[in-house]
Amino acid sequence: MDHTKQEGEYGYELFPHRNMGKNKQGSIAEGQFTFNHKCQIMLQFAMETSYMDLNLTSLSSQHSKLFKDRHFSCEDCDGTVSGGFDASSSQIVLCQNNIRQQSHMNRVVTHELVHAFDHCRADVDWFNNLRHLACSEIRAANLSGDCSFSTEAARFNFGLKQHHQDCVRGRAIRSILAVRKIGQEEAEKIVNEVFNTCFNDHAPFGRIPHSKKDANFAYRDYENRDRYYSNL
Amino acid sequence: PPRACDDYWSEFRHCKSLWNRFHHYYTHGTSPSCQQWKEDYRNCREWEKRKSTEAKEALQRSERNRVAEQTKFTPVWKLRQYPPRDWNMPLNQDKPQDS
Repeated sequence: MDHTKQEGEYGYELFPHRNMGKNKQGSIAEGQFTFNHKCQIMLQFAMETSYMDLNLTSLSSQHSKLFKDRHFSCEDCDGTVSGGFDASSSQIVLCQNNIRQQSHMNRVVTHELVHAFDHCRADVDWFNNLRHLACSEIRAANLSGDCSFSTEAARFNFGLKQHHQDCVRGRAIRSILAVRKIGQEEAEKIVNEVFNTCFNDHAPFGRIPHSKKDANFAYRDYENRDRYYSNL
Repeated sequence: PPRACDDYWSEFRHCKSLWNRFHHYYTHGTSPSCQQWKEDYRNCREWEKRKSTEAKEALQRSERNRVAEQTKFTPVWKLRQYPPRDWNMPLNQDKPQDS
């Protein structure tokens, strides 16, 4: 892959430590006291929450088992970005310098897992098809808790009626603008084109998980899927 | 039945709960309609206890409707037959130095 083209056009400049050919792990002593260590611990906690069970199990059933060491990477990132999914290396990037709280880590991991899930189950053309990118961003904002009432309230966005959808639209547009050099209007147009389909695509949850109970019910449905489909 | 009968009841209760109604309003701007779950629970019990074909068909229709609701939009992308080939391929930086 041509690295110079990648950096300029696909948002790789936000993740300066990606694919530079050097091992950036550092010494063990350094690791103990830096953001990297904290990131690894928070990631471990995130993957153990029951909320994650369905995410991880459904990925395994797509024959895309997740290995923490291979598919996750804690790195320093530019700006305020919290994470990303690098399709060219099949890795979820977590921004150790921008994720400070466990709840934030949980959301970022869920968000990126939605991208990973889409990558595994569909032929997503991340680099050339903006509609595919928009669709995955809509789904990730929708299903990860990025737009939950409490998360939005913490950003001082106090909307109520259907605010979830406004938030999802807005965040999808922002995500696209962060990694592609297109205008605001074009981004809005693309998001609006695919919004209906992608907002209503709740795979693998079958519903929008607003709470732990939703997540548990979704997991229950997933475990019973064989019985379900054979009895329709 | 497609689900255990208790599952229908717990879905009904969950649907009617305050939290869920709040989240539904926040997401869709409307109140959720929960009656179908209750109806399904009734049919499920009928099916199990009395093996009633009417109840069975009603329940199956309801569930097929649910599936149809989820899949009625034209997909944006094509689904894969096989997972991505490079999913587990080693990263360049992990290659052993002493090859």
